[in-house]
Amino acid sequence: MGDEGVFEKIKNSNRAAKQNINSDGACIDENEPIPQAIEAVKARLGEIFSGCSDFMYREIVCGENNCIKMSVAYINGFVDKRVLNQDVVRPVLDYFSNAILQDKRNRIYEQLKECVVNNSDIKEAENMRQVVDNIVSGEALLFIDGEDRALVIGVKAPQGRQVSEPDTEVSIRGAREGFVENLLTNTTLIRKRIKNPNLKLEIMQLGEQTKTDICICYIKGIANEEIVKEVRDRLKKIKTDAILDSGYIEQFISDSRLSLFPTVGNSEKCDKLAGKLLEGRVAIFCDGTPYVLTVPYLYIESIQASDDYYDHAFFATFMRLLRLLALLVSNLLPGMYVALVGFHHTVIPFKLMITLAASRQGIPFSPFTEAVLMILAFELLREAGVRMPRPIGQSLSIVGALVLGEASVAAGISSNLMVIIVAITAVCSFVVPPLIRATMLIRFVFLAAANFLGFFGISSVFVAVFIHLCRLRSFGIPYMAPFSPLTASDLKDSLVVVPIWAMVTRPRILRQENVKGAAGVKRQEVRLKR
Amino acid sequence: MEKARISSIQLFLLIIGFLYGSTVIINPALSAKNDAWLAILLGGVGGALLIGVYASIALLNPSKTLVEILMDRFGKLIGNAVSILYIWYFIHIASLVFRNFGEFITTMTFPETPMAVVIGIFAVLLVYGINSGIEVMGRTSELFVPFIPVTALIISLSLITTRDFTAFLPMLENGMALVLNAAFSFITFPFGETIAFLMLFPHLNKKENLKKVAALSVLFIVVLCLFIFIRNISVLGSDLMYRAIFTPHLTSLLIPGLNVEPLIDINLLIGGGTKISVCIYAAAKALSQVLGISDYRKLTTAITTFCVVLSIWVYENVLEMFSWAEKVWPYYSIPFQMVIPLILLFLSLKKRAEPSKSRE
Repeated sequence: MGDEGVFEKIKNSNRAAKQNINSDGACIDENEPIPQAIEAVKARLGEIFSGCSDFMYREIVCGENNCIKMSVAYINGFVDKRVLNQDVVRPVLDYFSNAILQDKRNRIYEQLKECVVNNSDIKEAENMRQVVDNIVSGEALLFIDGEDRALVIGVKAPQGRQVSEPDTEVSIRGAREGFVENLLTNTTLIRKRIKNPNLKLEIMQLGEQTKTDICICYIKGIANEEIVKEVRDRLKKIKTDAILDSGYIEQFISDSRLSLFPTVGNSEKCDKLAGKLLEGRVAIFCDGTPYVLTVPYLYIESIQASDDYYDHAFFATFMRLLRLLALLVSNLLPGMYVALVGFHHTVIPFKLMITLAASRQGIPFSPFTEAVLMILAFELLREAGVRMPRPIGQSLSIVGALVLGEASVAAGISSNLMVIIVAITAVCSFVVPPLIRATMLIRFVFLAAANFLGFFGISSVFVAVFIHLCRLRSFGIPYMAPFSPLTASDLKDSLVVVPIWAMVTRPRILRQENVKGAAGVKRQEVRLKR
Repeated sequence: MEKARISSIQLFLLIIGFLYGSTVIINPALSAKNDAWLAILLGGVGGALLIGVYASIALLNPSKTLVEILMDRFGKLIGNAVSILYIWYFIHIASLVFRNFGEFITTMTFPETPMAVVIGIFAVLLVYGINSGIEVMGRTSELFVPFIPVTALIISLSLITTRDFTAFLPMLENGMALVLNAAFSFITFPFGETIAFLMLFPHLNKKENLKKVAALSVLFIVVLCLFIFIRNISVLGSDLMYRAIFTPHLTSLLIPGLNVEPLIDINLLIGGGTKISVCIYAAAKALSQVLGISDYRKLTTAITTFCVVLSIWVYENVLEMFSWAEKVWPYYSIPFQMVIPLILLFLSLKKRAEPSKSRE
């Protein structure tokens, strides 16, 4: 594999980064015990969190002769202080204000855990590692003098924005709720839709530095156990510093890392994700991003939309075919034009030929150069529209396109027909959002092939792309299913959508007995071991 | 051995693509002029019998490729020698199809492009496909081969206004001998060439379907060839059809107000592609088994390169190609397509009969 060197380099740099941290002195051993004396705890935490102005440490002294010493540690702003005061500090002070220190120190700990602290979310921390992990993930820690354990009290304050309609995926019908950055809010949104204990949510942490919460979500009994296991294995093999977005995970776990085509899906919409889970797919939530990943992701999913299932089946079928057409047009149209003008004049009907020749008169560039220039101009406008601050961006893309299109024709740099073709291509490419990036690049390949070899070039590239698509697998499932391998019962939700009352079976391809992940999965294992 | 599996429908489509492959350019049955339909029918019957023989050999020697069967039946020395002959034969078929393809493209679409360029690009594409493995070849054929009948249908429907359905008459104008000769050619090309599939049959996931799949694909091809023949003769007339170099192409040029030339190219790309990939796969696999190499992929690039060179070197010009395909090829193929398989079938049957006797 050619990318061996690159991965090796990345890994080495990761290792170097790790060593840097270890040399800082604030390193915590895996099994370092919690000191019994409260002063020692204070000193140790002070050492670990030196320079962290948001680290709070509050000592509580109560009981007769100030005999009971406790302390609370948390990160300021991360916990809800009012809840902390009401649930922990107040009850502790009230309860122990008159207590006498007994020999059985254990009792204080047990009493605290069982009847003093008014919080339903209580865990125990056994060692320093757990203590620090919990503090930095927003829990409050309660230490008791003379104990080598600490109480972890979940008083995390709700963070982030409200649930709102997603910007990237809009649907005419269906829920307006989209995922947010908070993991718990997201899982609740799914649980709200699938009220079933079989909806399993397995949590784990990834990223040596960021300790991001990752949650694998699937419906037991519907999802294929082997795929779930594969997802778990692949996630566990990720060794990296940071997971800032689900995009990081996507790149780590996808089957074919260098392919242009997505083999891991993502969605911001709750109803869409619920649908995917019910089909037997596995979702991966990632804290801090509203984009939830779904695997396995097949080619056909890129032309599916949640509206298809809410609407009349005939209409949905028409939309599916339209999307497929748009996909073909956005890939092939500029290339087709160049091939027609450059090689296959005879194929063009005579009258169109005259129009074409008239519009190309006086253009200094070859059709290929013209097409590349116009498409580049369009891509630039699109990118500028995304990156610019929103109020400017919108006007920029519209005005830019109008001015550029009009002016370039008037100035004799490009033909009218070319502007039309690029415009149609652009419109079509937005119809199938998951494949926008793949289409953008493949379009140029088609263009180049058409310029050199006409239709023969186009069909060669077309065949090559399809061989590539047939090679791809997503978590062991052939990417082009249900068309190849042909799965008759799954065709009901492919190019043709049958009414929802006729969709009686779940996608069979996801349930096939022997997922055998064949080539895809095995190769993946080898790659991740490095 | 590679554990890849192909389904019945994938095999069905692979055989169709293979049979249709270069028949779209050179159809030996057409030498019977306006009685070609009879030649196609007779050839189809013969072809079905021949493929039946191959399927029986495969069924009598389950999960064994042609090379392994040859080794078992003929012993190591003769088995190896015959296997190497077969490897040569597969390579030869592949390079002939390459040449057909190159001739067609350079004659019709790109007259100024050197043939080596066209064939070379095609070869790169096919190496990519073949190296992806038999499973991917099957899946790709599932997506592409259905295009073949669709394009045939499109062209036929566009020509519906320019038909003369009396062009068949008179029947047997040139005598039965010509028809039989054409039918024989039609058996050896394309049906007999399916001997290459003996390298693929072990991958079929449901062995019991093998005979059905083979029979259905032959039936399909016979119907398709008849359909195309009727179209061609009713549009062109028997004389013009016989004299045209690339008959389907000439037919498609007659469509009023529309030029579908690229459709023929695509047909050829799909059919020829399937045929060449199967042949090169068979050759590479056979060679890897003879030499004891675990992975056939190491050999595909070399074999394909050899085929490309051979394809350019093998004929002087397009006319030689046609006359060779009609006059020499059938007799050259007899040992590979009929003699050795029949001996194999006989030996396999004998082998099966022996243990049952000893049990009694």
